[in-house]
Amino acid sequence: MAFEPKRPVNKISYQESRIYSDAELKNYTEEELKNFKIKHEIPMLEELEKGPWPSFVADAKRNALRRKKLADDKMLIDREGSEDLLGVLEQSFVEGETHWKHGGIVGVMGYGGGVIGRYSDLAEKYPSVAHFHTMRVNQPASKFYDTDFLRTICDLWEYRGSGLMNLHGSTGDLVLLGTTTEQLEPIFFDLTHVMDTDIGGSGSNLRTPSCCIGKARCEFACIDTQELSYELTNYYQDELHRPAFPYKFKFKFDGCPNGCVASIARSDLSFIGTWRDDIRIDQEAVKGYIAGDIKPNAGAHGGKDWGKFDIQKEVIGLCPSNCMAMVDGKLTINNAECVRCMHCINTMPRALKPGTDTGVSLLCGAKAPILDGAQMATLLVPFMKAEAPYDNIKGVIEKIWEYWMDEGKNRERVGEMIQRIGLPKFIEVLELPPAPQMVKAPRSNPYIFWKEEDVAGGWKRDINDYRTRHKR
Amino acid sequence: MMEELKKAILEFAEGSKKTKFYFKDMEKAVSEKVPGAKMREVKKAASELVMEGVLIYFSTGSSTMYGLKGRGMTEDPTEGSE
Ligand code: HEM
Ligand code: HEM
Ligand code: SF4
Ligand code: SF4
Repeated sequence: MAFEPKRPVNKISYQESRIYSDAELKNYTEEELKNFKIKHEIPMLEELEKGPWPSFVADAKRNALRRKKLADDKMLIDREGSEDLLGVLEQSFVEGETHWKHGGIVGVMGYGGGVIGRYSDLAEKYPSVAHFHTMRVNQPASKFYDTDFLRTICDLWEYRGSGLMNLHGSTGDLVLLGTTTEQLEPIFFDLTHVMDTDIGGSGSNLRTPSCCIGKARCEFACIDTQELSYELTNYYQDELHRPAFPYKFKFKFDGCPNGCVASIARSDLSFIGTWRDDIRIDQEAVKGYIAGDIKPNAGAHGGKDWGKFDIQKEVIGLCPSNCMAMVDGKLTINNAECVRCMHCINTMPRALKPGTDTGVSLLCGAKAPILDGAQMATLLVPFMKAEAPYDNIKGVIEKIWEYWMDEGKNRERVGEMIQRIGLPKFIEVLELPPAPQMVKAPRSNPYIFWKEEDVAGGWKRDINDYRTRHKR
Repeated sequence: MMEELKKAILEFAEGSKKTKFYFKDMEKAVSEKVPGAKMREVKKAASELVMEGVLIYFSTGSSTMYGLKGRGMTEDPTEGSE
């Protein structure tokens, strides 16, 4: 189904919106760059330029040189932001301490997120980064842009910001690094009214949702990750911009268990596309792989000679639940035991496909290691259909929020709260049934305890009655 | 209802020893004063106070607090009273 925006979207034309001429964008030669030295000594940072990989230090130097050569009226904040940024970072490397102060009350009117106040405590030594706020811009689903959009935002940020940006931050946003408080409202105006986009989440908000490329490009996608991301981004605008949660909350959407946005590790609520019927098998194509007519892994890792494809060793023997076999020359799968690891499908994509009764698994509570170490998400709902308008999914989300906002402590991630109160309690308040899929080894992990009201007769027994049947 | 909630928020903000407070603590105080106040309504009232320029957000980037404009915090954290 073709994408339908929820309302008409402005078409951006770089030719109309551009601020810099081609000559201004390419205003230095590679020779000049080689001889260019920024105003601070940065020997440790320059180590990061060595080797074959790209380096943010090299990029920041290019930016510094371009800004040095631009005319005064071609930028609204201090031109030496990149130079001072590198300078203060070098000093932090030497001292092993940061010189950024945490937080502030900068923001744009009515929004409680998307702008992160950053101030240097070495304002005299590095005046251009005394105020160096970050803005997060909500990326489009799967990060599809056209060049008009990208060039327009680059010009805008060169003009009203430092010109430095990070595409993309871990949450997903375009991260615009370094501007002053006065520039925030004009940038916000341009982003929303001209570019027809929005700033992202930060602080105790719903963070900018992000998704894998999904059905746009990927045949493994079991759900339309982009539509789900777009829908929930729009539906939860208030949660995105007006903070009232105990702490941050992230959604990420993976179209299948390959997990290209790693939602299971990086989001408080992880959506992973899956199927509940059988893996589709094309037995002719299986024969093709065995005979060597079709390249395994769609030709990936093909740079080396791995020898003849061995289905027993490379697929059947690697199935984590041992549920595949060759029977009379046919590949069989015991689908009840399949854990949807994707290995066989990735190896033989022409022969194997996910089933057609598709939906999502919902997992909750991943986080990075600020408290008690990093944590992966725990399964809450093994399978749920994922079709517009997604009321079933919204129902689960809202129950989680309601309980966490009530029970969660200030600055407690939902995953930490689950650890504190226990998963049995959490699924009980969400009114979700316990499922064996929630437990790594259900036979040996007795985490689902009976409650007295669930047991006929409760905990009490009449010992005399018992003795009538059981001799001492 | 909305006016009552806003008043309760302001009373809490003005009476608080702290200049920055979490939504949760504000919400708790408000629901003591206005029994039956729903979390969503408190949030709406707080958002309106922000729009009116009475309350402000304070964010570290990772978490957010509320404060009363002109009290304790200025835009540059070095100039604040804490
Ligand atoms: C034909 C007779 C029996 C068969 C086929 C049998 C089979 C099994 C199997 C397959 C298991 C599960 C092992 C696992 O969890 O991996 C098991 C566990 C066990 N069996 Fe048996 N069993 C038999 C008789 C008995 C008898 C007579 C007793 C005791 C009087 C007994 C006591 C146990 C115990 C205590 C366990 C461990 C339970 C647990 O791990 O939770 N079994 N048995
Ligand atoms: C004073 C007497 C006993 C004590 C102190 C005792 C203690 C224990 C303990 C501490 C465990 C380990 C529990 C766990 O790892 O969670 C255990 C397991 C076990 N006990 Fe006993 N036990 C006693 C008597 C018995 C008797 C009389 C039987 C059988 C007739 C028995 C059968 C078992 C079995 C089958 C297990 C394994 C259960 C499982 O792995 O699920 N025990 N016992
Ligand atoms: S997560 Fe799955 S569906 Fe999404 S891009 Fe990766 S392989 Fe494709
Ligand atoms: S998806 Fe994984 S668990 Fe399922 S059959 Fe294939 S290899 Fe086995």
